[in-house]
Amino acid sequence: MTALTVTESATRKGHPAGARRRSPYPAWFFLPAAIIYGVLFLAPTFASLYFSLTRWTLFNSVFIGLENFVQFFREPFLVQGLVNTVIYAVITSGLKVMLGMLLALLLTSNIIARGYLRSVVFFPVLVSTVGVGITFTVLMHPTQGMINEGLALLGIDGPGWLTDPRLALISVALVDVWKGVGLATVIYIAGLVAIPKDYYEAARIDGATRWQNFWYVTLPLSRPATATVIILSFIGGLRTFDLIWAMTRGGPGFASDTVASVIYKQYQAGFYGLSTAGNVVLFVLIAVLVVPLTMFLNRKQGHE
Amino acid sequence: MAGLDLKDLRKNYGTVEVIKGVDLSIDHGEFVVFVGPSGCGKSTLLRMIAGLEEITGGELWIGDRLCNTVEPRDRGIAMVFQNYALYPHMTVYDNVGFGLKLAKTPKAERDRRIREAARILQMEHLLQRKPSQLSGGQRQRVAIGRAIVRQPEVFLFDEPLSNLDAALRVETRMEIAKLHQDLGTTMVYVTHDQVEAMTLADKIVVLDRGVVQQVGSPIELYQRPANLFVAGFIGSPKMNLLPATVDAVEGDIVRVSSRDLAATAIRARSDGLKKGDSITLGVRPHALVPNQNGNVVGQVALVERLGNETNVSVRLPGGTPLMVVLDGDRALRLGESIILGFDPAQALLFDQSGVAREPL
Amino acid sequence: MSKAGPIVGGIAAIVISALVFLVPFAFIILTAFKDRAQAAALDFTWPASFNLWTNLVEVVTTRNWMLVTAFINSTILTVSSVTLLVVFAAMVGFILARRKSRWNPLVEFLILAGLMIPPAVVPTIWLMQGLGLFGKLHGLVLIEVAYNLPFSIILYRAFIATIPRELDEAAIIDGARPLDVFFRVILPLLWPVTVTNIVVQSVGIFNDFTNPLYYLPGNQNATVQLTLYNFQSQFNTSYNLLFTNILLITIPPLIVFLFFNRQIVAGMTAGAVKG
Repeated sequence: MTALTVTESATRKGHPAGARRRSPYPAWFFLPAAIIYGVLFLAPTFASLYFSLTRWTLFNSVFIGLENFVQFFREPFLVQGLVNTVIYAVITSGLKVMLGMLLALLLTSNIIARGYLRSVVFFPVLVSTVGVGITFTVLMHPTQGMINEGLALLGIDGPGWLTDPRLALISVALVDVWKGVGLATVIYIAGLVAIPKDYYEAARIDGATRWQNFWYVTLPLSRPATATVIILSFIGGLRTFDLIWAMTRGGPGFASDTVASVIYKQYQAGFYGLSTAGNVVLFVLIAVLVVPLTMFLNRKQGHE
Repeated sequence: MAGLDLKDLRKNYGTVEVIKGVDLSIDHGEFVVFVGPSGCGKSTLLRMIAGLEEITGGELWIGDRLCNTVEPRDRGIAMVFQNYALYPHMTVYDNVGFGLKLAKTPKAERDRRIREAARILQMEHLLQRKPSQLSGGQRQRVAIGRAIVRQPEVFLFDEPLSNLDAALRVETRMEIAKLHQDLGTTMVYVTHDQVEAMTLADKIVVLDRGVVQQVGSPIELYQRPANLFVAGFIGSPKMNLLPATVDAVEGDIVRVSSRDLAATAIRARSDGLKKGDSITLGVRPHALVPNQNGNVVGQVALVERLGNETNVSVRLPGGTPLMVVLDGDRALRLGESIILGFDPAQALLFDQSGVAREPL
Repeated sequence: MSKAGPIVGGIAAIVISALVFLVPFAFIILTAFKDRAQAAALDFTWPASFNLWTNLVEVVTTRNWMLVTAFINSTILTVSSVTLLVVFAAMVGFILARRKSRWNPLVEFLILAGLMIPPAVVPTIWLMQGLGLFGKLHGLVLIEVAYNLPFSIILYRAFIATIPRELDEAAIIDGARPLDVFFRVILPLLWPVTVTNIVVQSVGIFNDFTNPLYYLPGNQNATVQLTLYNFQSQFNTSYNLLFTNILLITIPPLIVFLFFNRQIVAGMTAGAVKG
């Protein structure tokens, strides 16, 4: 509208044609990305809000209101998937924060073979999750597995890591930590290296012990890294699918099912509406847990 | 042949007006310098001419073309940036030739023009280097070379010397002056440095808060500043501005005095002035000399001995500081009383609205 | 004593890290060398005979050379997705960093949403079927682009903000049109982040299992991760072959790791801290 008026008045005054100059930063640069993202990510996300309320065969859908969600919160194995998801996310992100911090402290100290240690800790991040899953499934074999054979040498009777319903979820979570702690470590290393030396020197002049140094300087000043590690691994934990699928397929029974594996199982079984409801549940779960968590961690950070 | 005509040129950012109606005419071949404090709009005005900022109102004529909405590449201009803006990933040769390449100039022609520019700027030996391998002065030279190959009708310079050290700045300043002589094209140059403005310009445009304060040759601006802003901005050290009162108006003679200033008669445009009006008397530090019959008396507060001249800061009874530049080396004691005089013809009166009352 | 500390601690760290992080890889390699009978014991022992070559041949030729097809598919998938990601993400990052518009907050929100929200799987399949993209390799390419765009955009935007705007302006005065400014001036300058992007995203997409599982069913266009997953049930009793397969698909990330370790770490931490 405005552009049109400008053009008209410009032509009247005898301005050269094509009056309004185009921006050197045209908005159509957004277009390729926007189309792909919009069609293949946004549109299905919005569509899921409707289809989660239907009984759906991909060819036709019958609106059934909240029935899928009711089922999700009534069927014990589905509820267990929900609980498992949260447990899994809390265990993995908690361990990654602690171990990541510890390893980062170790790897920024003047320890020997630092480069080797950093590489060794980081490499699993880059390896195929399915490959890692299969390898550890073998290593965790209750009778022949290397882990239990090793424990037997120490006189310990190892548990059925993946066969014991009480342990299966935690075992998978531990493998997740094994694979992902390298990323937490490098994020922490970046955070620790960024802390100015002055603080440590000032603390030393004030007579701080090593423990006080850590508690009053390192920990508060590496808070941004902590926030990043927690949020990143928490979201990753809530969404996790491939490792669980490669190791236990949610078993034994439903002992290690998460929302993501439930979504896949319901999809395979042809319950498309229910599967999509699972998606919406996961979406809500992430929003409800991660948004307040992010705000909490970032507020503390702004406080400094 | 291209001069520039700016007619009531305006620029708004939202509701904030940063260029408030500039009228300016620049002849072909003229070297014009926009000068003013930071934030005065001088760079914005230059960027409007370049086509890097949209023009909100008014008309911009380059030669006989109305250029408000013409793309920068079609305006017949070239621009040299403050931080050089050389493409880091291209050699000097490719930097200089980039515009020609975009214009699909034939390769032979392109090569000829790049080498011609390199010859003019004596940088043939730098052509295969990357910008990161060049010194600040060499980078500036490449930036100028990039402008030359475009064979523009108008050169635009945006504070091109401010990233160079003092010695190099003087040298490059002279090279730019020589370039102007050799090429004879119109040049518009933005700076906040008044020495650059005074030495380079055929015509200086003093800007403040988006308004042209005065347009004129360097000497005109120095001798006959149009208002208090220009008087304070041009000349170093700054012109002394003494508050005073009109005692009498006799034709084009105005008699003024104050606590710091014994009665003085100055020729000025006196219309509208009357006895009792507040007025400001401006006198350059160089115009003041020790004189037993002088009309200013004060105490020496600070002395800077430079050898060839002596800067003296004098405290007047009313508290106004007065800067004096004396020829040669003078040994003055702090606190010593000093009597100074000046030729009334070298003093200027400014009325309450800050406008100079130059004698007609 | 102050000197002994780091050395003793270092040796302890080396031993523990070797136990925890290297033994699983050693196990993969050892098992890949064994024959079927020895591998079935799942022991951490030296191979009685070296059968890597026979194992390799069998893994590669099994099911009508499926692994070769899978490697070709994975390569096509990775190369095309990363190419599109680099160009499209850089374009968005460029405009986002340069042009202040009222759309920016919306775009920023969508980027964050893309990092957090799990994709709605079945509706996506439904939509892809409608578009004829379901079960097609190029469909999966577009999926990988859509899901990984936010991370790449974040990497690019942060870097573009450090490139002086005068470079764009110099190019504009030199007569560059928007596409020239982007492809001839900006994109070449983004090379360091582009390398980071290529490395990080190609490792991620090459290792992706979930999306091929959902969107690329069928054997003829399986990716290497899917093939491994399928071999898991097929080679239930041939651990030597299963681990030869794992060894094979670990090689590409290993190569990337050896050559681009620094860029990967830089990219992952930079993207993470900014995200």
